[in-house]
Order: sequence, then C-alpha cells, then structure tokens
Amino acid sequence: MVLTRRLASDEDVAKFVQSEAYNDVVDIITQLNEACKDQKIGYQEPVSPTVQKLSQCLKEVSALVGQFPARKTASRFGKPEFRDFLDALELKLPKLLPSDNEEVCEYFARSFGDRKRIDYGSGHELNFVCVLICLQKLDLIHKTDFANLSLGVFDDYFNVMRQIQAEYWLEPAGSHGVWGLDDYHFLPFVFGSSQLVNDPYVRPMSIHDEVAVDMYKDKYYYFQCIYNINRVKKTSLRWHSPMLDDISGVKKWSKVNEGLLKMYKAEVLNKLPIMQHFLFGELIKAPENVSEKTGDVVHIQCWADCCGIRVPSAIAAAGATKASAGHTLQRSDAVPID
Amino acid sequence: MDLETDAHMEGSDSIRSFDATEDSGNSDNLDSWLDTLKQCKFLSQKNVEKLCSMAKDVLQYEQNVQPVQAPVTICGDVHGQFHDLLELFSVGGPCPDTNYLFMGDYVDRGYYSVESVSYLVAMKVRYPKRITILRGNHESRQTTQVYGFYDECLRKYGNATVWRMFTDLFDYFPITALVDNKIFCLHGGLSPSIDSIDNIRSLNRFQEVPHDGPMSDLLWSDPDERSNWGVSPRGAGFTFGQDISEQFNHRNNLSLISRAHQLVMEGYAWSHEQQVVTIFSAPNYCYRCGNLAAIMELDEELYPTFLQFDPCPRANEPSVTRKTPDYFL
Repeated sequence: MVLTRRLASDEDVAKFVQSEAYNDVVDIITQLNEACKDQKIGYQEPVSPTVQKLSQCLKEVSALVGQFPARKTASRFGKPEFRDFLDALELKLPKLLPSDNEEVCEYFARSFGDRKRIDYGSGHELNFVCVLICLQKLDLIHKTDFANLSLGVFDDYFNVMRQIQAEYWLEPAGSHGVWGLDDYHFLPFVFGSSQLVNDPYVRPMSIHDEVAVDMYKDKYYYFQCIYNINRVKKTSLRWHSPMLDDISGVKKWSKVNEGLLKMYKAEVLNKLPIMQHFLFGELIKAPENVSEKTGDVVHIQCWADCCGIRVPSAIAAAGATKASAGHTLQRSDAVPID
Repeated sequence: MDLETDAHMEGSDSIRSFDATEDSGNSDNLDSWLDTLKQCKFLSQKNVEKLCSMAKDVLQYEQNVQPVQAPVTICGDVHGQFHDLLELFSVGGPCPDTNYLFMGDYVDRGYYSVESVSYLVAMKVRYPKRITILRGNHESRQTTQVYGFYDECLRKYGNATVWRMFTDLFDYFPITALVDNKIFCLHGGLSPSIDSIDNIRSLNRFQEVPHDGPMSDLLWSDPDERSNWGVSPRGAGFTFGQDISEQFNHRNNLSLISRAHQLVMEGYAWSHEQQVVTIFSAPNYCYRCGNLAAIMELDEELYPTFLQFDPCPRANEPSVTRKTPDYFL
C-alpha cells in the first residue's frame, strides 16, 4: 500500500477542489469527454502500445473472473469469492499493466470495488481514471490516445465491470436508493451523452424506446447503460430510475452532457462520503494542509456513508428471485421497484 | 414549481388559522391533508411548513423517554415505502382505533419518503395520544443527504426548503419510549454511556444526531452474539452482547428491549434469549431484499403477537411528473 487517504472533512474537500489533483481529474475527464464526441464505441487504428496493453490487461481481468466463480448461496449480499479474485489480480498486476509503478497498480486494483465491503460505486470508477492520470504523468499515454481510451479502453473496463457486478453481486456503494443516477456508474452516461451531441436522429427521449435502445446499445454508452438497467430492473424506468427519466426530458444531448459534467463535479468530486476514499501518492499529490494519513479501518466522518443497512444489488435480487433462494415473495413479479 | 407537478399535489390550499391543541381545531385541515397523502400525493410546501410547525408544538413537550400505554402496536423501519406503510395500517388496524409506536427510519431509499414522513407526522398531530413517532438514525441532516431523502425533496419541491423543514423537525422527535414501564423502545440499541433510563432523560435531544456519544448510540447500536461492547461495523454506535442487555433490563426493571434498525428476513427476530426483539416494517426492503415485514402487537398484558406482511401491489406508473433537474437547465 503506497497510496493514502487524506480527505477527512468538508474543509479537506474544499482544499482538494482548489488543488492540482482536482484539476488533473477534471482535465482528463474533460479530454476523454471531448474525444468521445460524435464517435461510436470501439478502437480505431493506430492503437498505441500502452492502449493495447491496457486492453489486454482488462481481458486478463475478465479471464480471471472466470477462474473464481461465485458459489450459489441463499444470501443476496456480495459474494466473498470477489476477494479471491482481487487477491489473484493484485499478484498479477505489475506484469499486466503498461507500467509496474506501484501507484498505478494500486489505483488499478482498486478500480473494481471494495474488497472488504464487496461493493462498487463512482469512487471505484474514479480510481480507473486515476490509472490514466498516472500513465499520462509517466509519459505513457498521449493526446492521440484519448479517443481509444474513452471509446475502447473504457468500453473494456465497463464490460468487465458488468461481468464482475453480475458474477459477485457487488453491492451498490453509498446508494441514494431510487434517486441516484445509477447503482454503480457515472462516467458512461457522461461519455455516452458526448457521443451523441451532434447526432441528428437520436434524442434523449429515445431511452424509452426499446427498439432504439436495442439498436444503439453497442454503439453508444448511454444506451448500453439503459439496456443493462432494463435487463436487471424489470419495471418501468420511471419507477426505478426517476433521475434518468427526468434527464430524458432534456431536449438536447449537449445539455445532457453539460449537466452530467456539472453533476459529476458536484455529486462525486465535491462529496465527502465519496472523496474520503480518494487515494493520493507521488503521482497524484494530496493538497497541502489536509488531514494526515488515515488508515483503511478508520472511519473519519464517514458514518453517513457506511451507515445503515447493507443493500444487495438489483442483480442479486433478480438472481435470487430466479433461483428462488431465501424467502420467496408472494406476487413477486407484481411488485414494482418503486 | 411547475404546474404539472402542482396538479399532483393536494387540490385545496385554503387553510384556516390553527390552534395546535389536541384533537380539535385543526382536524378539518389535518383530515384533508391525510386524505391527500393517502392518495400518495404530497402536500404543498406551504402546508408542510404549517404541518411542521404544528408538529413542533406537539413534539417539544414529549419526553426523551416518552411514556406509552399498552395496548400498542410497535413498528420498525419504513424507508419511504409508502404503499407498504398503508398496508401496515390495514394489517394492524386503522389509527386511532389502534395505538401505534414507530421506532424511526421513515425516510431514505424508497420512492415516497416525503409522503411517508408527512403522513406519519400528520397522524401524530391529528392523534397525538394515539401514535408515537421516535427518531431513527436516518432522521438526520447528514444521513438524508446520502441516502435519498434530500434528493427526493429537491426532486418533488424543486428546492431544499422542505428537506430543511423536516430535518429541523426531526430534532424534536423523542428518541426512546417506555411501554408501561416494562418495554423499552428505541431505534438502534444500548450505549456504554447509559446505565439507567434516567440517564436518557437528562440528554439534550434537540439537535442533529451527533457522530458519537449516548444519543448517537441509541440510534445506531446493534445487538450482537459476542458478549460485552464491540466496535460497530457501521462506524457509529456499538454492538452489545446478551450480558449487556441482561444487565440493562435487570437494572431498569424491564422485560424487553424493542428496536428496529436491522433488516431481518422474517420481519422480526428475537435475540439475547428474548431480552431483545428487532422489528423491521419495510417488506422487500429497497425493492430487492426479499424480506417479509412485521409489526408487534402488545396487548394489555404486554403479550406480543407478530403480524407479518408482504409488499403490496403498486400502480403501474409513479404519480410524479417528469421534471428537469437543475444541472440540466
């Protein structure tokens, strides 16, 4: 462990927002977002060695999930085999990644969810962004790589994440219940809306159109997300995802994209419950005068974040209903997700 | 507030002046608000303001350890599952014919936290002697900002004023109740800083739930199989063993600690050799846990009967009209 958590209070987060580290994060997300504009998902030639290595590495991650299948149990909570998978991954990482830099490896290893809590949220997604920031600082990725990063490497990452979420029933971290954007992800909505900014045919409202979702799911992240949500949550989008439903009322993708970027800064980068887990090292330096290093077990002001009752994923609920494990509800099909 | 959303709120806004005395004066307004809420429509901001002010007048006089008489029906977490809350009243019998005691966590996570908490608070003002509403760990400013109630208020009212009014009101909720001096009811559990119930009476409860200390513990702690006090994995409160429960019950001449706060698959669960009972009243919690809900009826002799229930069916579409979030304007 070379990285440390340093943001322990609202004051710390306020300092972070003024810092170089914050600018690094916002810069790279802005560049990735720009690189997606008017483009479909997929790699384009030429593919640089770093991008190739990252893509290969994510394929290895996917293969590794296959080596640690989760056992069937009555519990709907996260599957403990996730920890075995993570342990195996950590051992392999220095050889798999484009750099064996310890910080790069640690950010990467922490991009797949929390080992102890078996959950995943936008903070883990942010760790994957940090991998790219580090590689940029190590001069391993360049401006010309950004389209392949946002449309290729991120596609591989989102896909392997969905595989991991489905296999290990990762719990949604710090979930706002039905009122959040998504149980797990934020960035595919950002990049996905950027892809469509100048599209003359596809509208934000099209997410309600099953045919459109099916048609665009392989080309655009936004529709891929909707497709995956619909696969797990069976009732209307209006019930289980009121935020996405609201956003579908926005007329233009450019407004959606701008709004999501604003929301990402406010709801992820400025929120203590998420940012208290943000990791700093030599490549991404902590701002001056923030709290001292905090260990993994120390709950600083985080009680609102690890409070309450653990909630299983919707994937788990769907899986458990199918397998009729545990208590089966009467009329379970008739119960919408409100 | 756009017109479309207004149309889904209560129809009449004509309110006479109030006098917050028991069971009189305001009953017309309260009854009309209750009718509105029963249809799963939320009150206007103006009426929430009136409701919260009336509720403060009632709740400020309640005690930290609010005395309650049996028979009474005791309920656990609700978490914004409004349809299931109505189901609870149909399973347990309508209030005021049945006395109720709710042990907190009305908001967060569900779709209808606004409606659920408005309904329970309106019931409290309408029938102050018939229903007791305690504070849960989710009735706090900090928790509601993470788990949905804040987002829901913004979404339904277009600003944070209603969230502020409710979270200010939460500071007035009593934190524990005592049924016939024998059954101690609270949201979470015991605290190493509290030996006797009298310790609780001297706390100043009119504040945001603190991060630690006795008030926080009462709302956050959990019973555990391990004896003595333990560190809580929740990051607040403690775990307490059977030895602690036995000592506390013995010292305070209690027969039972009744609490909520934890998901239990059958809706209720005994622990510590029936020194402690956990009650959870949100069926299929978060629409994905697959659990039954339960409530505990206590008769005049304090004999408990548990009533379990499943989630109740909903309409096909929610009644909230689409509205563009501020980030996208």
